[in-house]
Amino acid sequence: MSERLGPNVVATIASAASAVAAESKIPPESAASVYRKKKPPPPDTPEGTRTRSLVILSFWIVVITVGLPLWWITTAIYRAPLPLKEMQSWADGRACRAEFPLLIEVEAPTLPDPENLLKTVQHALDDANDFSAHHLRLRLSTNSSQVEDGEESVAATLRLSQGATGSPHSYVLSPSSRAIDLFYSPSYNPTSLSAFVASTLQEIFAEEQQMISYLLASSAPAPSPSPSSGGGNGGNGVKVVNKVNTVEIARKMSRIVKYSPMYHLTFSLFTAAGDPSSWEIKEAVSEYLQPLLDALGGISGFTVDSQIQFYASLSSSVVPTWVPDSEEEGSSGKYSLKKEDLSSFINSAEWPLVSITSYPTINFIIYIPATDQSPLMIPTSSTNAFLLPQWGGVMIHNPPAETDNTHLTKEALKPALDIFATQLLSLLGAPTHPASLPIRLDSLTRQRSAELLVSASSTLGSLYRLTLALPSISIPSSVSTSVSSTLTSLTAACQELRHGRFGDALEEGRNAEEQAEKAFFEKSMVGQVYFPEEHKVAVYLPLMGPVGAPLLMAALKEISRLVRAWKASKLKK
Amino acid sequence: MRLLSWPSVTQLLLAPLVIASASEYNDYSENLLLKSLPGNSLLASFRFVSNGTFDSHHSVFPRSLAQILQQSQTKELHLKFTLGRWDAEQWGRQVWDGRTAGGTGVELWAWVDAADDAEADARWTTLNNALSGLFCASLNFIDSTRTIRPVMSFQPAGHHSPEGLERLHLLHGTLPREPVCTENLTPFLKLLPCKGKAGISSLLDGHRLFDAQWQSMSIDVKPVCEEDGKCQLQMEQTKPYAGGDSCFPLSGVTDLPWSLSEMFGRPIRGSCPLAVVPTEEATHVCVNIAEQRSIFVSQGSEERKKSPELRCFILHENIDFDIVLPELSPSTNLLPTTPPVYASRSLTGHGQERGGIQAVLNNPSSNSTVEFVYLESLPWFMKPYLHTLSATISGKDDRNIIQDIYYRPALDRKRGTQLEVRLRVPPGETVLLNYEFDKAVLRYTEYPPDANRGFDIAPAVISILDPASQKSTFSIRTTSLLLSLPTPDFSMPYNVIILTSTVMALAFGSIFNILVRRFVGADEVIGGGLVSKIRGHIMAFAAKRGRAGGDKPKTE
Repeated sequence: MSERLGPNVVATIASAASAVAAESKIPPESAASVYRKKKPPPPDTPEGTRTRSLVILSFWIVVITVGLPLWWITTAIYRAPLPLKEMQSWADGRACRAEFPLLIEVEAPTLPDPENLLKTVQHALDDANDFSAHHLRLRLSTNSSQVEDGEESVAATLRLSQGATGSPHSYVLSPSSRAIDLFYSPSYNPTSLSAFVASTLQEIFAEEQQMISYLLASSAPAPSPSPSSGGGNGGNGVKVVNKVNTVEIARKMSRIVKYSPMYHLTFSLFTAAGDPSSWEIKEAVSEYLQPLLDALGGISGFTVDSQIQFYASLSSSVVPTWVPDSEEEGSSGKYSLKKEDLSSFINSAEWPLVSITSYPTINFIIYIPATDQSPLMIPTSSTNAFLLPQWGGVMIHNPPAETDNTHLTKEALKPALDIFATQLLSLLGAPTHPASLPIRLDSLTRQRSAELLVSASSTLGSLYRLTLALPSISIPSSVSTSVSSTLTSLTAACQELRHGRFGDALEEGRNAEEQAEKAFFEKSMVGQVYFPEEHKVAVYLPLMGPVGAPLLMAALKEISRLVRAWKASKLKK
Repeated sequence: MRLLSWPSVTQLLLAPLVIASASEYNDYSENLLLKSLPGNSLLASFRFVSNGTFDSHHSVFPRSLAQILQQSQTKELHLKFTLGRWDAEQWGRQVWDGRTAGGTGVELWAWVDAADDAEADARWTTLNNALSGLFCASLNFIDSTRTIRPVMSFQPAGHHSPEGLERLHLLHGTLPREPVCTENLTPFLKLLPCKGKAGISSLLDGHRLFDAQWQSMSIDVKPVCEEDGKCQLQMEQTKPYAGGDSCFPLSGVTDLPWSLSEMFGRPIRGSCPLAVVPTEEATHVCVNIAEQRSIFVSQGSEERKKSPELRCFILHENIDFDIVLPELSPSTNLLPTTPPVYASRSLTGHGQERGGIQAVLNNPSSNSTVEFVYLESLPWFMKPYLHTLSATISGKDDRNIIQDIYYRPALDRKRGTQLEVRLRVPPGETVLLNYEFDKAVLRYTEYPPDANRGFDIAPAVISILDPASQKSTFSIRTTSLLLSLPTPDFSMPYNVIILTSTVMALAFGSIFNILVRRFVGADEVIGGGLVSKIRGHIMAFAAKRGRAGGDKPKTE
């Protein structure tokens, strides 16, 4: 067909081809026959070929040594190195096996052979204990009251003394000291006494042990020491209690406010009308609550404020029902709140309860209903109060009708504050048992240390997963500093726990938690710029495409030429 | 008539609550002033005062606000939300000497206790963020570029000890663009002990309130000390509101009838039991109207006539209160009171590069000279030339008008311009204050989403000075301005990327080709590349088709 084309057409093709001629320096043999007026091109000089190769090479050298590093450096995201392995092992609970050795001093001046008794009791305790991280150790009091520095704290002092004749073994806990007064029956045999001592101690620390084992178990996904693996002897029923209480413990744990070194307590008086217009809350708090707050001072600090809110209405979904006392017409009665009402009792849309403090707020509310809704009762509560998990407590106060309602005295506030004190303890997670407050607070310290350890470890775990999941996130060096500080504190806390110095452990745990949170919530990390991949393509392609294509083609041609030259030289040989 | 202009004033006052329980009622008082304005307008001015303590136990003083003040170490706070324009020519001077009204949008100034400027800035930021949450306003956008430290315009209103005063830093921020609406009114009402459920605050209903032509909401907190040295924290919340209805020409001829329930949509729901027990002086509601106008009130309220033009009422608990005024012809306007200065401000110039500002300041008094401080807080992208600042009286430049200038130039993206000029205007004269400025070009990301709307420039604050004490006695705000800046095409960055890339690729491609290609004569080409092969194929195909087409008729 090409023969049929006129010379003009051929010329057009030829000139068009010349524009792209350089693309292929290999003459296709068949093409030569197409064009009749064909002159062979002047032979390519070896210098020309050499220069061309050098030009291509130098371009590539510049691209690889300058261009790529420059591109890499200017677009790289800074990721500080993190001790990922350590972080993971803490998160899995493998790094530290928390231990809570409780030291119990025994004073038995009247007992003939205290060492032997101690041995038996220790045996019984060890046998019965199925959660090895938390164990009791007995020590005979040396009567020398000097406490060495760095000595582990004594969890409780057991004072054995002879009881009245004929009475069985019994014990008494004083509410304000760590001493357990145990009175043994004068007609005792050592076996029964040791069993009694062991069961007493177990009873006292059972709740704490359950809490801590729950805390540690919930953190580690690895199989926790299962209760059934423990010895079956002991015969004290602790194990049964343990199983029964798992639900109860979970419920208790869900109430607890997250640990913070400071809490803000807000006492609010919400009244549905314009009175009472004043209350002696300042005096009441300092008299009834301050001692407890001071006692808790070693664990957390507290700031207190109060407010009165008038004309506070309940949310519209809360409708108390009228329950008459008797069937008679016009008899007295009360308004009662259903259980569902309690969950929406707080009218958060209208009640100003928010604080701007940087630490958590615990709210305590006294609500005084309007006269047309009075008395307002919660039938399921004898104290007419309820606790809102992790938030605070509410008490409904129905002032006696005949008194002056414009002012609430300190005395009138006492029942409310007593309830609030109990609620505060359960919100903070103090065990309800035993009666002795110092022992309970010690328990709380250990519990909080365990909690801090667990939560700091899990924060580290989250950070670990986050850095792996988001490769485009930047990690500033401050995060790496915080992480290493967390790790140091965690290790120290673990050590302190093992040595029974729980106060120091709490301190270290606090630091670990704080640093871990700081690392996780690092601002520059959270504010990651969302830059999708297709946008990157859109930005790079206009430059990379037109520049890269000729470079790549030239390189390919040059390589194929070299390969052919090499083959040819081989053939010659 | 309907609401044309009714300022409502709310004042809250904080004082230490060491007082016995019976006297605690004194911690809160409220009153409402209704004043008829020319042009069938009505001014309703609410004022609420609450006293509170410095400690952390709060009663009528709102805990939320006290906590913020404590957290940010703020000793005195003034926060104003304003909407609309006060028509001084028609309505005369503002109530409360203009102290309770701010410029359009939000205006906030506070005295913050701090050791140095950096600490003051940090506390100021805390304050703004906290107030922003409390009042549902964008106060958190008051950053360093919108903050100034006025030197001459403001003086603390509360009592501060001399050594405390030295540590106080005055910071002033404005948000001229902030629309004031019901979401700001609700938190305002929540600060009141009776929460709009009883007392005069029950009139403050968002549905009707924002129909007003002008309204302002202000919160002033200051410490108040007694003479024996006992100090209290006092908060004054004021809310003037002006509304009215003069949409038909009758307005000047007759006084239209109005009633409280018609204007506010509801009557006053009894008195607030927490407010001060009313006395001869302290009444709940006062009406300031012409003597000739008759007035009807609902039963169960006591009237106290203070003067022929001021009639006051005491409310009772749980009894609704309403005021009805019948129509009266001819119109009986009160004489409008003249403000010390009439001020207006406008943009001059044209184009996208330069502009100017002209403020017209008129002293209406026939015999006394007025002295005041004119304060401008300009954004950094508006760069004024101080040498162009001139004050002229009837076209003549007068060196004696400008008494003093305080000027702090802007830093790009760090702070705005602060310009304070003390002026003295002779009686009956009008001063033109002019200056020119450059418009900066912003960065791509600095433009708001609606960049073509323009940028709001905060109102100028005019503080009239007392000739003797040189303290501010009255304040006036001009309206805000809308400045249009050169606005780019916002698809620009990608266009720029494409264009530069293309130019670079072109340059690279041609240089690379010249260096790498071998040049031969057109007739020396041995075969074609891929393109010439394809082209050859296309040519061949076209030729074939052409032949086939030519053959067709033959076969037919």
